[in-house]
Amino acid sequence: MPTHREPALRTIGFRKAFGDHVAVDDIHLTVPAGSFYGLVGPNGAGKTTTLAMAVGLLRPDAGSAEIFGVDVWRDTVQAKGLIGVLPDGNAMPERLTGREVLTYLGLLRGIPHDTVAERTDELLQVLELDTAERTLVIEYSTGMRKKIGLAVALLHAPRLLVLDEPFEAVDPVSAATIRTILRRFTGGGSVIISSHVMALVEQLCDHVGVISDGRVVAAGPLADVRGAGTLEDAFVDLVGARTGGTEGLAWLTS
Amino acid sequence: MAHLLTPGPAAMAKLMIRMRLTLMRNSLGGDDAANLYTGVSVGLILAAGTIAVAVLWPAYLPLALAGWLSGWIFGPILIGGGNETLRPEYFAMLPATPRRTAAALLAGAFAGPAPAANLIALLSLPVYGWRHGPAGVLIGLVAAVITLITMVMISRVVVALIGLFVRSRATAATVGVATGTAIALCSNGWAPVAALGGDTAAWSHHLVRALPSGWGVAAIEAPWPLALAILAANAGLIALLLASWASLLSRRVVSAARGGVPPRRGAPRPLPTAGGARVSAAKELRAWWRDLVRIQLLGTAFSFALVFPFLLVTLDAWIMVPFTGLIAIVMAAASSANLYGADGTALWLTLMTPGAERADVRGRQLAWFLIVGPAAIALSLAGTLVSGELWAWPWVLGLLPALLGGGAGLIVLLAVTSLVPGTDPHKRGGNPLSTGASETAETSLAYLVLIAVPSIALPTAGAILLNPWAGVATGVLTGALSAWGLGRIAYRRLENHGTELLNLMKHGPAPQADKPTTADLPVVHRIGVTVCYLTAWLPLFPQGVVPLFMKIFGISDPSWFLALHLPPIWQWPTIIFMIATGVLMYGYAILIPMRLNSPSSATTR
Repeated sequence: MPTHREPALRTIGFRKAFGDHVAVDDIHLTVPAGSFYGLVGPNGAGKTTTLAMAVGLLRPDAGSAEIFGVDVWRDTVQAKGLIGVLPDGNAMPERLTGREVLTYLGLLRGIPHDTVAERTDELLQVLELDTAERTLVIEYSTGMRKKIGLAVALLHAPRLLVLDEPFEAVDPVSAATIRTILRRFTGGGSVIISSHVMALVEQLCDHVGVISDGRVVAAGPLADVRGAGTLEDAFVDLVGARTGGTEGLAWLTS
Repeated sequence: MAHLLTPGPAAMAKLMIRMRLTLMRNSLGGDDAANLYTGVSVGLILAAGTIAVAVLWPAYLPLALAGWLSGWIFGPILIGGGNETLRPEYFAMLPATPRRTAAALLAGAFAGPAPAANLIALLSLPVYGWRHGPAGVLIGLVAAVITLITMVMISRVVVALIGLFVRSRATAATVGVATGTAIALCSNGWAPVAALGGDTAAWSHHLVRALPSGWGVAAIEAPWPLALAILAANAGLIALLLASWASLLSRRVVSAARGGVPPRRGAPRPLPTAGGARVSAAKELRAWWRDLVRIQLLGTAFSFALVFPFLLVTLDAWIMVPFTGLIAIVMAAASSANLYGADGTALWLTLMTPGAERADVRGRQLAWFLIVGPAAIALSLAGTLVSGELWAWPWVLGLLPALLGGGAGLIVLLAVTSLVPGTDPHKRGGNPLSTGASETAETSLAYLVLIAVPSIALPTAGAILLNPWAGVATGVLTGALSAWGLGRIAYRRLENHGTELLNLMKHGPAPQADKPTTADLPVVHRIGVTVCYLTAWLPLFPQGVVPLFMKIFGISDPSWFLALHLPPIWQWPTIIFMIATGVLMYGYAILIPMRLNSPSSATTR
């Protein structure tokens, strides 16, 4: 990996509290350029909050973020030109069809009309959304919403993709398609995904960061983090999990 | 072994009541609690007023009760689908028949402040019955309970019908037109009544008794056997309503929620090959055309604007007709007040697209202008021509551009400064007309627009009084400056505070322990503020501004304008007093909460 290049993303001392609850506490992450980075952690660990702050959708209480050396909160416009984002659970322009969403956002970004049309066609086709030409996004299934979100993130050919739970609710065939697209993308670009499916992260990513209770408990190349065992073993060790489910509930089988 | 026993009807009803009360208690934080207290106070005042009518002016009791009925019918439509604390969807998997679930849900529906206030109001029936002896009191008591159930049931059935059948543009527009007409009748309905011979006429006497709200009065006045027949018929109506509500609910639960999307045919037309504001406007126009809530609100705005002036024509007063288009602009602005809140978290895309904030704000202005402008201009020109009121031309030509530009500026400004968070469109429930936003907050935002848009046109009105044609120029200038300037403030704010708005929509308002909210207003002030908001228009507009213009233009028909009934020497002082009273009431209602929210008061608390 060339050391002279700026990292794709660097977060410095992120902190965010919602009322009394500290969701993210002093998070430092470095995502090397060209890497496929997996952000893992249990439910409520602060993954979504961290990613939202990293791309400029949530203002941190403290700390800063740089994308290829560009400060997200100072040079907002320049930073936004470099990234494609798939947030978890946000709305879209719901009353447009998938094609209209892509066309609208492409034109709004100032991409030439022919290019927009060409890319829209290809994205819809590859993500198998082209059969739903008359369906408004509001009527899409959860998996289709993920796919149109991914298409939006890819449309302007960004240098860094930030995807929050990109595989959630996506069927196995589409998931394989998305994996292929993302692997091709890392040929020149960088990807960050958040997930709690360890096998998937292990298979796709070359770098991982483990977050628990709003703190980074481990980060670095995949091989370093997982050590000798599987990533799942390392993860359970790191977050100090207690596997429950063996006590109580006797009436279920009586 | 699965547990197959469901509780009996009474136990299920009790559980629903407990659940509703628990939900209510859990949501009683901050503004909600204060709004509840204010609502209860206003309801109690109205209830006491109804009893007073029964004692002092018994002839008007059926009319007052008809007012309560119309509240139950149109209240839920106006505030987007009514209270749905207990959604039928929650109980879809209970192994119980639809009718039993419906009966239990109905019991839950009574566990709220509105039915309680209504019950107190209905105690006016036994009070009225006292005039007819002890039997009258007894019938009155029975009728009070039966009438309450009838009113709540009618309200539920109307909401269920809307939820199930408002699935197309035509039905959404129909609901909108019915609502707009009803509001217009509430404010100017006295005109046709007066034209038809007033409240002394036999037809109005029968009409208010024929409505379900008047059956109690009819039963009290009737001889014994007929009274019993009326009450029995009423009980039958309740059974019928319950049965139809149950079947509507079970159909609603299994019909897929479509988020208020009208059906479509054919592939959509491609977006224009433009960038910036024009492509944003194209997106926004599609949203207007494909959103049943927006179509319903537009229907309300334009039908009110059309019906309101023409009701006065029944008295041969054409004075309001030239202003049809202007009323339409103000109403349409009020119904577009929460543009960003209605789209929910879709704002993130605008924030993630470099430089899109400006295009989005300008696009929304352009789309609103294209939707409201041509219709308002056509209505203004046609109204002024048809009315034959030549004096109205400079007023219409001056105020039209001022209001159009002011509206286009204010809606985007308020959409970013006073956003009311709702539920994201794709997560809304089975009610197509509900946005999930706080109804109280949305209504006060609409009120704010109703006051703010006409205020922008005040300088124009002043200029017209001085010189008609200078007024027209002022109007054009005001409109252009407002649309440009207020839009500019709006997109600047979106650029700087967009993430805060996004998170307001995602997580609701952040709790700030030290910052006082309107909820901290003393209850007396809260009631005062609400009463002023509700009634200040009365002295200001119909009793102040309208007679002012009638005096200026020498129209002598006094109708219900107090000032014009007085000796000439008292007319001007009365008009000025009325306008001053209205302005002071609005000032009090707006300034008291603002003063409390200012930082200086926070430190002195």
